[in-house]
Amino acid sequence: MVHSSSQLWAKHIMDDIHVKAQLGRYPLRGFSTFQRVPHFDELVFLSTGLTRVPLEGYKEKCNTRTVIGSRFAKEPLILETPIYISGMSFGALSRSAKAALGKGASKVGTATCTGDGGQCEDERKFSDKLIYQILPSRYGFNPRHMLGAQALEVLVGQGAKPGSGGLLMGKKISAVIAEQRDLPEGIDQRSPTRHPDWFGPDDLSIKIEQLREATDGRIPIHIKLAACRVRDDVKIAAKIGADAIVIDGMQGGTGASPDVMLDHTAIPTMASVTAAREALEEIGLYGKVSLIISGGIRNGADAAKALALGADAVAIGQAALIALNCNKHIPGVTDYPKEVGVEAGYCRYCDTGKCPVGITTQDPKLEARLDPDEAGDRVANFLNAMTMEMALIARSVGKSDVHSLEPEDLAALTMEASLMTKVPLAGTDYRPWENGKKSHGGKKCI
Amino acid sequence: MVKLDASKLSLRELNTSLKKACVLGEEIHIANPGARHNMAVCILSKCRITFDGSVGYYCASMLDGPDVLVNGNAGWGFAEHLYSGTVRLTQNASLAVAASIKGGEVVIEGDAGARAGIGIKGGLLAIGGNAGYLTGFIAQKGRIIICGNVGDAVGDSMYESLIYVGGKVASVGTDSRVTDVTADETKWLGETTERLKLKTRKGTSWKKVESMKTLYHFDKLKLKDRHVV
Repeated sequence: MVHSSSQLWAKHIMDDIHVKAQLGRYPLRGFSTFQRVPHFDELVFLSTGLTRVPLEGYKEKCNTRTVIGSRFAKEPLILETPIYISGMSFGALSRSAKAALGKGASKVGTATCTGDGGQCEDERKFSDKLIYQILPSRYGFNPRHMLGAQALEVLVGQGAKPGSGGLLMGKKISAVIAEQRDLPEGIDQRSPTRHPDWFGPDDLSIKIEQLREATDGRIPIHIKLAACRVRDDVKIAAKIGADAIVIDGMQGGTGASPDVMLDHTAIPTMASVTAAREALEEIGLYGKVSLIISGGIRNGADAAKALALGADAVAIGQAALIALNCNKHIPGVTDYPKEVGVEAGYCRYCDTGKCPVGITTQDPKLEARLDPDEAGDRVANFLNAMTMEMALIARSVGKSDVHSLEPEDLAALTMEASLMTKVPLAGTDYRPWENGKKSHGGKKCI
Repeated sequence: MVKLDASKLSLRELNTSLKKACVLGEEIHIANPGARHNMAVCILSKCRITFDGSVGYYCASMLDGPDVLVNGNAGWGFAEHLYSGTVRLTQNASLAVAASIKGGEVVIEGDAGARAGIGIKGGLLAIGGNAGYLTGFIAQKGRIIICGNVGDAVGDSMYESLIYVGGKVASVGTDSRVTDVTADETKWLGETTERLKLKTRKGTSWKKVESMKTLYHFDKLKLKDRHVV
């Protein structure tokens, strides 16, 4: 069959060329990748039957308390749910959005993370548990803020744009943000991607020791990596002393990233979990170094599947922003077509600073559309709902602790998901990754 | 005065002892530092610390208040993230000295390696000798003085910082240029180098490296012509 239009030069391909021909540069956008890649929807849980007994779904206790970073830290990070808010900068986000995330997270006993650009005072005020990021830019870095944090996170890469630094376009470099970052107001800020004071693992191990000395070994030190060469990176991060490793898959969100990085770099989040777990198992540190997964976690099912594959916790970014109101039409307040040129539900223009709901903007008029108290409640509700979904799934497979979920609780719906996660295809015991070993029906797999 | 022998203490013990003494505003003398890494990290009170010997990576980093003197050489990231106070080194500093400092003064009597003053956000870095490749890379605010020569790509992608060079400039980095210093700047340079006891050659002809600011805006289009893309 011959298609009625070109598959090679499809409409969106031509649009992309037209845009580049106008701009003279690569296009940017917020949100996350537009690629359709294997994700957690391609896994399902095998709930109980006669082989296992379920717990009462709505009644029996199911533990969700999560301890992160107990490998070396005297005061590990203790969360009441294995879900926390990932690093999103004050600058990319408005002050009200940071405050709302802090309020919401604290209500359910979990943490937020500063992101680039230093600490937002409102976030610190409301976030009981704050993870302080150490980034290549060191914008807004303050040792006193660092000492007040409950954990540190050395950012090496992020899934939305591994190997490249953050972007904050001029409309978002307001006077306040400029002062906080020691930059001229209104410039298009392109953050460095390499840290100023270390280049490779040997240096980073000394840097980790420095941070540990600075904080008297009190709080956990996380290393955040984009999901690329996951096995090697995880082993290195563990070897050089991380208390926790955060792996951010290619579906990770962003306030601004070149399209080409969003859609053509890093590996899917789901694939990274198994690789990271196996890497830690191979060096005998699985269960000792905490493993945190982020990048496209949308609900309790995604989070539960990440935990079943080997994660100790997940971090959410875009989902938390959607809980704040991202892409929601508010009658009498927002006019998405006029403000960003598309209907609500299709906006991904965080980079422009024109956020119709006051989340990714530094414009006071737009920011006024976000009430931090109400938005904080929505975030808390969403985190609660996700946690309840996880517990419900755990009980249905007979587990009284969400951390007891395991790969054996899962089946894969596609070959891709099966091969990436080493979870057998649904209805089979086919394990092609076990070369030559026993497989379906007791026959040798060729 | 508190005297500590680094050779007889673990790093943890050394830093704990240092912090305790610093909180009391003591003067501390550290013998036998042995070029160990991460000594005197994150001290946030006024005090005076002297190292009698060379130090390793990240010595005197993340400080807010202390006056530190190191009689020797220093490894990577010496005095990085200084907020306030002074840090002085009598010999040579390795890579990324004074990285990302926000305030205070870092004085290197000898030479500095590559990326000296990378990403500084304020304060002053003064180098008595020469400085290496990419000095002042992405420096945002604050000033750097190099009494000797400076290597390639000085001031690459810099913002509002200013770099003053007494000797030769091997080459400027992307978006930076060499310009003349003003009379006020010449006066300030003379006073500052004298105050910091840095030797300058007779008849030094100071040059200034500054940003051309052509990288400030990513978009080449005028704002009114920009579409949402």
